[in-house]
Amino acid sequence: MNDDTLLLYYYNDGLSTRERRQVDAAINTDPDIAAQYEALCQQLNAMDDPEPHAVPSHMVQRWHDSIDRAAQQDLVSQRQPSRSFNLFSFAWGAAFAATLAIGISIGVYFSAAPLTAPTVIAENLAPPAAFTRGVSMYLRDTHQELATLPVATAAERTTLVLQIIEQNRLFERAAEQNNSQSLARVLRAFEPILLRLAADDIAPEDAEALRAQLAFELNVMLTKIARDSSNNSQST
Amino acid sequence: MAAILQSTGAPTQADFHAAISDRSDRWFSACLKITRNRDLAEDAVQDALLSAWNKRHQFDSSARLDTWIHRIAINAALQLLRKTRPNAFEPLDSEIADHGDTPESVQAEQELGRDLSAALTHLTEIERVCFVLKHLEQWRLKEIGDEIGANVGTVKQAIFRAVRKLRVRMAGLQGETI
Repeated sequence: MNDDTLLLYYYNDGLSTRERRQVDAAINTDPDIAAQYEALCQQLNAMDDPEPHAVPSHMVQRWHDSIDRAAQQDLVSQRQPSRSFNLFSFAWGAAFAATLAIGISIGVYFSAAPLTAPTVIAENLAPPAAFTRGVSMYLRDTHQELATLPVATAAERTTLVLQIIEQNRLFERAAEQNNSQSLARVLRAFEPILLRLAADDIAPEDAEALRAQLAFELNVMLTKIARDSSNNSQST
Repeated sequence: MAAILQSTGAPTQADFHAAISDRSDRWFSACLKITRNRDLAEDAVQDALLSAWNKRHQFDSSARLDTWIHRIAINAALQLLRKTRPNAFEPLDSEIADHGDTPESVQAEQELGRDLSAALTHLTEIERVCFVLKHLEQWRLKEIGDEIGANVGTVKQAIFRAVRKLRVRMAGLQGETI
């Protein structure tokens, strides 16, 4: 009997019932075939899967991140097709539209500014006062929204946080347009925390911890903006 | 959202993270044995995770998530291998001799480690893939044939040749270590 037949017998695949019975009988009655099969089994067992290769941590992190991104995209796309009227979402929509209008106005106003006063812009790279006031308002509003954020109910929390993320991106872009790269960077740094807070499977205590962290960061930012504004007004 | 996922038995984001932490080394190793290329193996796992996430509502909650992803990763690795080397699974009419160590096989050997993984580098593409799927992944011959577009006879022949070569190679490797 050849090794190929014994190999298929070992794998229990590729032989008919009749052929399997013939191999069975041969192994039980012929010591040479039994020894041949035994040797084959030993060699095949030595070919078993070795320990898995160590995977670099950056690779594992990439896989974790890909799931987070996919989950986030799902959440965003689930929100978009919703057309049903809801007073709460209407209020949020109105607030968002107002913020968008303010953001666009600020962007349009300051993008036109260099045409009329290029020398002033070149000399003073600090964000304009109107923009700073807009950002302060946004940060204060966000701080309040976070204070009343329902941490226990994932769906509501996710909706609210996703809207905060949209506003945050808007202000981040406006900050870039207003030559305030450091402010844009700070706003950008809020996003990963907000994304984690928006995750649907986060434990309420973790959500609470993230909310506290954000509230703290927002306070720090508000204090810094107030101090910078005060310094600027004193120096002018 | 969490409630919806639980009611349909679909795995959650946290389930995926747990599976990645526990089993991604095994998925990667399996994909590496098939592709013999770290980048392709990494991409295969990445593709598998995204595919599993998108199809998570089809997941049978009585099964194990990591096993399900493992299977999808193998399929992704085969797909990537087919894409990068279109003739990888062409049946061979005659026995291909082992041409010894090529620069490619030496590099792959260094990446894969010794023993079985090292010996696998001396097989042709179809021999290696058929052997890995049969011996390590326990696929049925017909499943392998369906996956690589070959008949069962071709798959059997590839496995016979693979085992013959591996027995010789591994006996040699064991001899070297003594």
